[in-house]
Amino acid sequence: MGDLIYLIILIGVGYFIGTLVEKKHYKSIEEREAKLLYLPAVSSENLLEEKMVNEAHLVYGNAVISTDYFKFILAGLRNLLGGEVCAFETLLDRARREAILRLKEKAQGADIILNLRVETCQISQVGSIEVLAYGTAVYYKK
Amino acid sequence: MKFIPREIKTNVNISPTSPVKDFFELVIKILGFILVIYVGLGFAVDYIAPRISTNTELRLGKLFSARFEKKERTPAELQLQQILDELVKKSQGLPPFNYKVYLEESKDVEALALPGGNIVVLSALLKEVDSRNALAMVLAHELGHFYHRDHLRGLGRSLVFLLISSTLLGSDSSASKVVTNAVTNAEMRFSQVQEKAADLYALDLLNKTYGNVAGTTDFFEKMLRKEKLWSFFYIFASHPYPASRITAIKENIKLKGYVIGQKIPLAVEIQEVSSKK
Repeated sequence: MGDLIYLIILIGVGYFIGTLVEKKHYKSIEEREAKLLYLPAVSSENLLEEKMVNEAHLVYGNAVISTDYFKFILAGLRNLLGGEVCAFETLLDRARREAILRLKEKAQGADIILNLRVETCQISQVGSIEVLAYGTAVYYKK
Repeated sequence: MKFIPREIKTNVNISPTSPVKDFFELVIKILGFILVIYVGLGFAVDYIAPRISTNTELRLGKLFSARFEKKERTPAELQLQQILDELVKKSQGLPPFNYKVYLEESKDVEALALPGGNIVVLSALLKEVDSRNALAMVLAHELGHFYHRDHLRGLGRSLVFLLISSTLLGSDSSASKVVTNAVTNAEMRFSQVQEKAADLYALDLLNKTYGNVAGTTDFFEKMLRKEKLWSFFYIFASHPYPASRITAIKENIKLKGYVIGQKIPLAVEIQEVSSKK
């Protein structure tokens, strides 16, 4: 019985703190995305308009986000039965957007980011994931 | 092509389902699945337990008795063994084991039937019996479990279930421990019927051994006085409520016309153990 209470407490704490952290993170992501909206980051390898390029260099951003205990258990249960692991969707979404935001922040003053690529990997067994976004920051001749 | 910045309000990458709802749905589905396996296993174990050969059981028994065999036998244990030998000699239909009784220091009032003919009496139980007959009743009750092969049945499902949960969830996970505890409790509750059957077996065996049934209800009467307040909790316990056991035993004494007779006092060696604090 003690074990069950321990488990329920862990899941409960995981859920409430996890949700709180996630909400805060999303708020920050949305604010920064709005701020950096002017800077296009595209997967195209070529310029979208005819411009003279002054400078181009590699930019990247990466983010490591960990799961909470509630999501961890939820995904574990899902592993038994199969199906969509909805628990990790927000985790990946946050990591992806955070990585692209950091990439844009690194490319200050650029006019466009070309050839944007996003890669992901698992960092540890408990469910931390890393997303790496990289691309080419292009500065036009003014 | 001109780039026009546009904010996207919706997020297609996140499912609209609530994670809490998802969680409860999964828990219910998995519990249902486990229940089906559990019930299925119950049938399987009931089928297998009576068919386990004595050799296999002896091998299982060695796993359990290994920790008791190392110690030298105390005088009280030898006395207990004497009572057990008397009973075994008069018994019929018991699996052909070398029946042994061990005494373990413990505050719990309990006796256990382990595979391979091993009986463990916990020392606090000796404080609750005041005659050789009452003690023999307890030992005969455990022999009843061997006769009905209950000890294998109970053990079988717990063992198989533990195996499943540890495979699915990992043996160290706290979830696995929760499952094991829950299963062990459910298993014990399930065996109340078996406890009563063992009581009746013990009654017949005592009558055969001593020619009377003196002291057969003593132990339960003592427990009843002690635990009167706790009757409600007995639905959760492994043994049936003492009162219903006493009634069942008394009814059987009347039905079979057994003589109640004289009690035999406990051996000094056992009295020494029971008077220890």
